[in-house]
Amino acid sequence: MKENEGFVDYPEQQMILYVEKDDGKFGPMQTGSYLSANYMDDYLFKRRNLEIELREQLVNGDISPVKYYMVLEDLSFSELAARAGIRKSKVRRHIDPKKFGSATTEELGKYAVVFNIPLANLLQIVLIKDNNSFEANLILENKAVKISVDQTVTRNPYVVLTKIEEKHQ
Amino acid sequence: MIIQNFNHKMAAHCESGTITSLLNHGGLSITEPLVFGIASGIFFGYFHKMKSFTFPTFIVRNKPGQMRRNIEKRTGVRFKTYDFKDPVKGQQTLDQLLLQNIPTAAQVDFFYMDYVPSWERVHINVHFLVVAGKEDSKYNISDAYFPRMVELDASSLEKGRFAGGNMSPKGFIFHLDKLPADIDYKKAITKGISKACFYMLKIPIPFLGITGMRMFARKVVEWPKFARDTEHLSHEIMKINILLEDQGTGGAGFRFMYATFLQQAASIIDKPELKDLSDELMKIGDGWREISLFSARIGKNRDLGPDKLKMLSEMIYDRADVEEKFFKSLSKAVK
Repeated sequence: MKENEGFVDYPEQQMILYVEKDDGKFGPMQTGSYLSANYMDDYLFKRRNLEIELREQLVNGDISPVKYYMVLEDLSFSELAARAGIRKSKVRRHIDPKKFGSATTEELGKYAVVFNIPLANLLQIVLIKDNNSFEANLILENKAVKISVDQTVTRNPYVVLTKIEEKHQ
Repeated sequence: MIIQNFNHKMAAHCESGTITSLLNHGGLSITEPLVFGIASGIFFGYFHKMKSFTFPTFIVRNKPGQMRRNIEKRTGVRFKTYDFKDPVKGQQTLDQLLLQNIPTAAQVDFFYMDYVPSWERVHINVHFLVVAGKEDSKYNISDAYFPRMVELDASSLEKGRFAGGNMSPKGFIFHLDKLPADIDYKKAITKGISKACFYMLKIPIPFLGITGMRMFARKVVEWPKFARDTEHLSHEIMKINILLEDQGTGGAGFRFMYATFLQQAASIIDKPELKDLSDELMKIGDGWREISLFSARIGKNRDLGPDKLKMLSEMIYDRADVEEKFFKSLSKAVK
């Protein structure tokens, strides 16, 4: 690949690409991600649709919160069990919405560490009104125009401080 | 406090970049492609069904950690390694090394590196970075995928270092211990190339090397049956582009970086035929790049019918054919 063919102007995601320079030597060039530059909208569209679909199943009681995050974070059942350090048979129970209630607070804490979320978020979905619809904060990630949500962990592993504030325009 | 004279530099890949960075800091002038090539980094493996993965996937580099071990074996460089059961001990040891001005590489789960935009973060336990300082509760991180040094909370680094699951890092860290007085580059390069050729051509496991590439070509047409819906299939097909380009390969699934290695090796060990082979591999890489772009395009357009997957399959078969010929020539060149 020639140097001039490989360059992508996308400062948000930079990478090193090895290319053929003008003098015929091969070497590194810092450039942007072609995929992100051209297809980011499509990726975010699919991710948002997946969250909406899973949330609908979650609120209808068709899936458990563990399954909601497991699918969103693309973890297999075995991998989740190994990461959380919880027996597979128990994870199987916790994936079942009818048996999710058998999970202990300690087990929920282990899932929360794996998912990198406050434990409280296994029992709630924070939605923000952006434009005309409510969107999951998880998907918006504080890209809402008027409101920001900040969840700060505390020294108490069971308590998170959720601060909601108006953004200064 | 950031370690004195530590120069952060972007690299194509996290493991070869981290090793290069530690070696450069220790005073050895070596490029990332040379590290990658000597370490036999180039590889191919296809995983159709594995409990750790939610979907079929493939790899284009050797086993994580192998690059460091191969560099040690082939150049005489020594790294000191540590792993831990106890996160507190893991952090104390890291802090002590930093106090001694020793830049230290760590293996982490990429997902917890919160300097990375969330859309880029995935659970993968084999990301490598250099910890190059600490200020209060934040570490100074030199991550080869970032243009500048970044900061990371101690709690996030701990989560990343002690994540469980497949290839769990177990707090693994390493730093440069000793550089040899002299490196026999001819021997190291020749060994690195021969081993890479063995892995690509002769490894007797059906999902690895060129046979693995053909398995990928054969099985990719079956991917729709693993997908939840069309959007999921589109996402997984577009991930082919990520695995070949964006996930730290230097482009075309490491083929461009390996071509650069061969060009540099040709002059270091005075073997002009490696230069011709490097030109050939650059062209082979362009073909992988076409696969990346094709995958992205059909994924975006949701044009994922059997005809398009068949085309994708044929493109992969074609790469397997040209790479088989290429690695046979490369193997002969270093005999």
